[in-house]
Amino acid sequence: MASKGGAAPSTYTPTPTKKTRRSPFFSDSDVDWLRPDGRGFHQCRPAFFRTGAVNSAAGSAYAEFGNTKVIVSVFGPRESKKAMVYSDVGRLNCNVSYTTFANPARGLGSDNKEFSSMLHKALEGAIMLETFPKTTVDVFALVLESGGSDLPVVISCASLALADAGIMMYDLVAGVSVSCLGRNLIIDPILEEESFQDGSLMITCMPSRYEVTQLTITGEWSTAKLNEAMQLCLDACSKLDKIMRACLEEAASASQD
Amino acid sequence: MGLPDASGDLSSEMELDAFRRLFPLRYFERHLSESIRPDARPLGRARDTTLALGAVASAHGSALAKIGSTVSLSLSLSLSLSLSCAHANTMLAAIKMEVMTPSTESPDEGSIGSIDFHMPPICSPIVRPGRPAEAAPVISKQLSDTISRQVKSFLCYPFLLNSGMINLKELSLVSGKAAWMVYLDIYCLDADGALFDAALLSAVAALSHYTGRLILIHFAYTIEIYWAGFAFCLDVVFGSPVVGQFQIIRFKNSLWRYIPDNFHHVQIPIVSLNDDGKIELISEEDDGAKLEVEPVNKEKRKLTLSSIPFSLTCILHKNYILADPTAEEESIMETAVTVVLDSSSRLVSFYKPGGPVLAHTSAVQDCVALTRQRVKELQDILDETLSGMEID
Repeated sequence: MASKGGAAPSTYTPTPTKKTRRSPFFSDSDVDWLRPDGRGFHQCRPAFFRTGAVNSAAGSAYAEFGNTKVIVSVFGPRESKKAMVYSDVGRLNCNVSYTTFANPARGLGSDNKEFSSMLHKALEGAIMLETFPKTTVDVFALVLESGGSDLPVVISCASLALADAGIMMYDLVAGVSVSCLGRNLIIDPILEEESFQDGSLMITCMPSRYEVTQLTITGEWSTAKLNEAMQLCLDACSKLDKIMRACLEEAASASQD
Repeated sequence: MGLPDASGDLSSEMELDAFRRLFPLRYFERHLSESIRPDARPLGRARDTTLALGAVASAHGSALAKIGSTVSLSLSLSLSLSLSCAHANTMLAAIKMEVMTPSTESPDEGSIGSIDFHMPPICSPIVRPGRPAEAAPVISKQLSDTISRQVKSFLCYPFLLNSGMINLKELSLVSGKAAWMVYLDIYCLDADGALFDAALLSAVAALSHYTGRLILIHFAYTIEIYWAGFAFCLDVVFGSPVVGQFQIIRFKNSLWRYIPDNFHHVQIPIVSLNDDGKIELISEEDDGAKLEVEPVNKEKRKLTLSSIPFSLTCILHKNYILADPTAEEESIMETAVTVVLDSSSRLVSFYKPGGPVLAHTSAVQDCVALTRQRVKELQDILDETLSGMEID
C-alpha cells in the first residue's frame, strides 16, 4: 500500500562483497573442481518425488532435487480451449513458469517460453496422443525454487504427473543433464556450477525402451567427452526411472489400503 | 435451481454421486438440515491446518500453509507436500528483501514494496496460462490492506486502524540512504475455497518471529460498536484506546499466554555500505572473524510484529453459517463473509462483498464469534510450528 502511490523507488538485491570468481580455480584447464555441495563428480543429488500434490488437478507431482523444487499439474484430457481444426490425435499443451522468489534476485515470475517448448518436445514422443482425440492435455509446471538443472527436473516431474493423471504413455521420461567444467564432467549441476560451465548436455529418455526423446548439447565439447557424457546421462536416467517407478508404486499401494 | 421438487422425488432412486452433481444445492441442504457437511465436519468447524516454515531457501522467509490436510507424511525433506484426501488448500508465501533509497519524508523507514497473491495455472483447472485468475487481484488487495500498516490514521480514525504488523523503522539501514523494501509473494499451489484465509495464514507465518514474552490478555471485554448504524461485535483488550461510543456488554475471563523463547524465522542478511554508496552482502564465513567492512545492521536483523492478523471466511446460506468453505461449497452458496481479527481479538477487517443472502446482525456476531475461536486455534498452530522450528 505504502508504495503504490507515486513513483516506486528502484530497488536492487545486494550482492556479496567477495564475488566467487572462476579464475582462481580455472586458470588452466586441468584443475579439479570441488563441488560446493560435497558430491562426487558423477553423483546425482538425492531425488525426491511425490505424486498427488495438487488435489484440484487430474494428476500432479512434486519433485525436489537439492534446492530445485518443482510442482507439475496435469489437467485433462479436456476440451481444447483454442478452437483449432479437427484433429484425430490429442493435443499437448505445456507451460513452465517461475515464482518471483525462485532465483536469488527477485524476478517477475513470468512464463519461461523456452522451457515450455522444450518440455512439450521432450514429452510429446512419449505420450500416446491418439488415445484422446479432439481433446487437450495441459501440463503446467511451477518452479518454486531454482537450484540448477531445472529443465530435466521439470521434465521428469511432468512425466510422473502424467502417469498420475492416467494419461497413456509408452514409458516414463527421465531427464538428466551434465555440465563440462574444464576437464571434468559433472552430473546434475547446481546453479553455481551451471554459471561456470563450458558446455552442457541434457538427455531425456524413456529408459525401459532405451529411446531418447530429447538431446540438447550446448558449448564446447570433444567427441570423446560427448560419448562419456551421454553414457553418464543414460545411466543416471535409468537410475532416476527406478526412483520414479518406486514413487508411483508407493502411491498406488497407498491408495489401495 | 428450478427443479427442487423434481429432485425430491428422484433422490431415493438416484445414485449418490449423480444426485450430488445434478442437484448440488439440494444435496447440501440435506446435509445442513442434519447439521453436518459432506466432508463430515460440523458447520462451524474449520478444516485441519498445518504450517511448515523455511520451505524456500532462496527467500529470506517462507512458509507453507495447508488447510485441509489429513495425512501428513514425514518431513524428510524441507518442503513436505503431504498426500491428502479430498479437500486441501495449499499456499506458499515467501519474503524477499531488496535495498531501496528511502523517501525524504521518512528517511528512517523501509517500506513494503508489494504484497502479491498469485494463482499460477497449476493450482486450479479454471486458471490458464497468460490469463490471470479474477480472484487473484482481489485477494492481493485484501491482503495488502490487512498487512500494510496505516499507523498514521490511528489517531484520527481509531476504527480504521489497520493491524500495523510491521514496524517500518526496523527496516532502515542507513538513514536517508538505504533501507529494506519487503516483497511478499503468496502462491496458491492448490485452490480449494477460502483462499484468503490460507493466504493470510501463510503470509503471517512467513513474517512471523518468536520472542520471549509474557503476554497477559487481560480483562478482555466483549463490546459492541455502533457505527454507521451497523453493529460489530469484538473483544478489546483493556488498556487499548476505548472511546465513548463503546458499550460494555459482558465480562470475560482474563487469559495468560506465555511464549517462552527467542526465534526469528525471517533472516535478514548482514550487509555493509561500500564506497559507491551501494549496499553489499557480508558472507556468513567472514562473520565474526576479520571484518574489513563495518556492518550497518548488526542489531537490526529481525522483524517485530506488533499484532498478527488471522481470518476466517464463513458462508451464509439461509440460517446456516458454514465456516471455512470448500471450493464446492463456495460455488453453490455464494454469500461469503470474511472476518479478520488480530491475536488479541481486535477487528482488523470485515468483508461481505454482496451476495444474495443479507446478513442479520446476529449472523455477523456469530461469524465474529467463530473467527475468535479460529484465531485461538491458528495462534496455537503458529506458536507450535515456531517452537518446533526452534528445537531443530
